[in-house]
Amino acid sequence: MEQPDNSQSNIEYISTSGAFKTPFTLIILLQFFIGYTVALLINIWFYNDLYFLLTGQKFLPFVLIGQWWEWLLLPLNLYGNIFLFVFSTILFAAGINKVLNRLCPPKEGKFNRGSKEWKYTHRRFWNAYFPIWLARAIPIPWSDIFVYRLFGVPIGKNVVAYEGYIDPELIEIGDFTMTSLNICIFSHLIYNEHIIIKKVKIGKGCVVGPQSIVSPGTVMQDGAILGANSYTWIDQELMGDLIHVGTPVSMNFPIQSVEESLEKAERIKGDNFENMKGDEKK
Amino acid sequence: MFQPASLKGDSPTPIDERVRNKYIIIYLIIIILSFIPCSIFEYGYIRYLWIEGFYLLFFLLLPFNFIIFIYLLQLSAILFSLLSLIIIQLIFSPKEGNFSRDVKDKNYLFWNLRNISKKWALFISASNPFPWLKNRFTLRFFGVKIGKKTFCDTCWISSEFVKIGNNVIIGMGSTVLSFGIEQDKFILSKIQIEDNVVIGAKCVLLPGTIVKRGAKLSIHSYTRIKDVLVENSIYLGHPAKLKED
Repeated sequence: MEQPDNSQSNIEYISTSGAFKTPFTLIILLQFFIGYTVALLINIWFYNDLYFLLTGQKFLPFVLIGQWWEWLLLPLNLYGNIFLFVFSTILFAAGINKVLNRLCPPKEGKFNRGSKEWKYTHRRFWNAYFPIWLARAIPIPWSDIFVYRLFGVPIGKNVVAYEGYIDPELIEIGDFTMTSLNICIFSHLIYNEHIIIKKVKIGKGCVVGPQSIVSPGTVMQDGAILGANSYTWIDQELMGDLIHVGTPVSMNFPIQSVEESLEKAERIKGDNFENMKGDEKK
Repeated sequence: MFQPASLKGDSPTPIDERVRNKYIIIYLIIIILSFIPCSIFEYGYIRYLWIEGFYLLFFLLLPFNFIIFIYLLQLSAILFSLLSLIIIQLIFSPKEGNFSRDVKDKNYLFWNLRNISKKWALFISASNPFPWLKNRFTLRFFGVKIGKKTFCDTCWISSEFVKIGNNVIIGMGSTVLSFGIEQDKFILSKIQIEDNVVIGAKCVLLPGTIVKRGAKLSIHSYTRIKDVLVENSIYLGHPAKLKED
């Protein structure tokens, strides 16, 4: 067992996640072309068949089936082409991601600019850029979860994970977790001339509040709640079944039932009412 | 990066409703004109590539047609936005200062008009599905000076009175505002970000901020109006304060 390197957590400020532009971004053109070609081939087969059914002539010299039920595919063809393109692009990108992972598996640690890990992290980011953009552009709310799972991010059942930024590697999200609007979950940071990579673990039944940031190395235990507009420092651990707030997280509160909070509110209101009465008497 | 559509890092160009109702025609004309080069290109593509017996070539080049269409639209949007922006700036040149938030104030009225003329180009470049020639490229046309190797495509940057140096990193979801509205006052003040600055995710720079060379702003903090961040130091908090060891 290696000793954990403490120098990683002694950082002075938290910057941001992201990737510099490299020539590897051209992979997007290849993904685009492959996705389109799959959609084109299936369309040519389909319209060739329909043409054969109608006229008895071959449009292109392909193997023909010419079945009546192919008419039933026509409405699917009109809208489904978009999904065909999107999902073939996603599957192709997931294949490239597997190759990249084989060449250099994602590792935790602090790496210099220009090192092998730096290069491959950037490559994985640019490989994931276009599929995730596409998944979020089509009107299926869970399509981006599907993409993250294909890219090797274990996301559990019944997770709400849209309308926010999530890094495509070294993140674990448990079942029934909810992430809100405009959140950032970072598993890597650009820090001076280095890149810091640390795994983020979010347990079961957690809630990540709106506008919050989860920094690398954060561990959220089962049932932990990160409040709105707060962020975690590096390597922070959030205890389960508590509400955590602060910038960075410094306070926690127990979760109350609706009856308990209503009771408290009544008590505060009553106190204020008595105080007001007292003021009037004076 | 992988932000959903609602967080794509558009440039903030709010427009007063009173001005918008009157001058919406400028916006519509820019949109219609910017599609003309694209339709000429599409006509040429169909005219010269739809050849009897070689239909496959037409279909194989369609993805490139799509990519060229997107960038042609972006470039023509920038061109026509820039033309209308130049005309508006000739009538009344932009100035820094504190003004009243009233349509009768010429500074406020023409700030709105400039926003109307820039909005379409900035929207198109932020919605581009590819990572090349995005917000940084478009903002440079509108007079925002952005240096080399600067990393600022995932944040909101105002489209005037901003100067950004070389090797700067501006984090995801950060906002660089060179304008501000306070009750009935309207503020326009220049923001300067010098070389090698790092600004974390979700920071807000308010008008008049000067970030000196090599300063670092940690995540989720904001600066005050006309704040100065000292060289090679670390700032943190709400509002940002110098971090002491």
